[in-house]
Amino acid sequence: MLSIRKIRSSIFWAILIGYGIVTIYPFFWLIISAFKTNEDFYSRPFGLPMNWQWENFTRAWESAKLGTAFMNSLIVSLGSLAVTLFIAALASFVLARFQFRMKGMIMAFFVVGMLIPIHSTLVPLFILMKQIKLLNTYWALILPYTAFALPTAIFVLSAYLMSIPKDIEEASFIDGTGVWGLFLKVILPMSLPALSTVTILSFLHSWNDFSFALVFISKTSLKTLPLGIANFADGYQTDYGLTLAGMTISVIPTVIMYLIFQEQVMKGMTAGAVKG
Amino acid sequence: MNIRSHRNFIVLALLPALLIYALFVFVPVIWSAYYGFFNWSGIGEAKFIGVKNYIEILQDPVFWRSLKNNFIFVLAAVFGQVPIALVLAVLLHKSNMIQRFLRSAIFLPMVLSTVVIGMIWQYIYHPQIGILNFLLESLGLESWKLQWLSDNKIAIYSLLPPLIWSFVGLYLIIFISALQNIPGEVHDAAKIDGASGLRKLVSISIPMIWGTIQVAIILCISGSLKSFDLVYIMTKGGPAHATELLATYMYNSTFTSYRYGFGSAISTTIVVISLLLIGTSQWLTSRRGKK
Repeated sequence: MLSIRKIRSSIFWAILIGYGIVTIYPFFWLIISAFKTNEDFYSRPFGLPMNWQWENFTRAWESAKLGTAFMNSLIVSLGSLAVTLFIAALASFVLARFQFRMKGMIMAFFVVGMLIPIHSTLVPLFILMKQIKLLNTYWALILPYTAFALPTAIFVLSAYLMSIPKDIEEASFIDGTGVWGLFLKVILPMSLPALSTVTILSFLHSWNDFSFALVFISKTSLKTLPLGIANFADGYQTDYGLTLAGMTISVIPTVIMYLIFQEQVMKGMTAGAVKG
Repeated sequence: MNIRSHRNFIVLALLPALLIYALFVFVPVIWSAYYGFFNWSGIGEAKFIGVKNYIEILQDPVFWRSLKNNFIFVLAAVFGQVPIALVLAVLLHKSNMIQRFLRSAIFLPMVLSTVVIGMIWQYIYHPQIGILNFLLESLGLESWKLQWLSDNKIAIYSLLPPLIWSFVGLYLIIFISALQNIPGEVHDAAKIDGASGLRKLVSISIPMIWGTIQVAIILCISGSLKSFDLVYIMTKGGPAHATELLATYMYNSTFTSYRYGFGSAISTTIVVISLLLIGTSQWLTSRRGKK
């Protein structure tokens, strides 16, 4: 009995560790290869770098104009995040705490958005952006990122707000606070856990997006990180160390953010997914 | 709360979200159905041609190829990601150090841009410098070496490992949180009845988290229909449309061949297909759940 159990548990561990290695190895390979010269890269693809080419990183940073790409990604991600958080919180507050006609319809209208594939809107959005002269501006990314983040954000936030007891409002009305006061001073601070979930989900989504940036941005000075990296790899196809260094730099922020906020990221993903 | 006194607030608070969402998500979907009736190159006059674009799509072998490839992606996600994630979730839902570490590792690809994921795998598959062929060679399996992404018979299947690899973490986390919600007494009762590990999984854990599995399947379907970035980065839909998906077909028709009307018609088709698939899967899984 005991030995069967032992065999079984060693099979479990073998599967787990095997899968773990398969998952981790590509990252490990990416990072060590970023330090290699081309010859090293060809001749010993699995080995550690012969001598560590730190200058791959500085060269990649400069030739891929990663500084600009970083700034652009930061501007559009934070921009759409700020807009999303504020207007989603307002809408969720109303949808969760007030009774009015059309409430169900409006909620359903937002929820359907979660099922619409992003790419099916690329062509019409491109035409729309062109007509209202938004192509090649930050708004061309901020507005669609916000629009596509809203359904999940409203869903997660309003579910959370519905769980707050009713007395809170009555108490603050008796104290003479208006609706805006209630929203800004009471509801917003209380919904911090849900807001942080929404923050992580929307930030990751806009920081990593490729398709909207590909279609709406053609100006080099406005390119975001994923777009910049993809173009750079096309242009420097044969300098592998350099390209991989660029890729490594581009993943550092999200990986660090993930390592710090791991628990919250996982909770956020679950909340977004289970509710979605 | 009293409605009348807050009416202005309700309208004002809902308006920004409604406007942005309607303008950038909802209206485009309607518009693209409308543009689908036109022959338009993006500049100059659009010419109304009725349902011609839609008929052309249905007669285009590339469309059917894309649809088939999308189905391959959906099947790989539903029958690859979901079972793998389920097994891993059962093995990893307790919290010792190694399990926590593996959980984080498996989830890590979820926080990376698909661009980077696609590029990493492009290097893995590279015929000359790729580590996959190098590995096969060093294991003495030279005959197994292939042109992973440029052989049009296998290219689409080469895209499945990165697809599965990058999303298993999401389903893993969803399943783990569902498993942790099963009350402990249920397992204790099963133990007293002498149920073994596998038996417990099949007759207790899976039925108890069936609702979550259903959600995961919907996410798989809508997620697979959304895969554009990975394929665009790795193969651009080639070689010879072998890895074309509906989304790349739409992108290439519109922004490479400059057929905006035709591209819009494909967009509309994508919406219809994904709603149909999600509807069907809902229907199938809820029937199974009732049994």
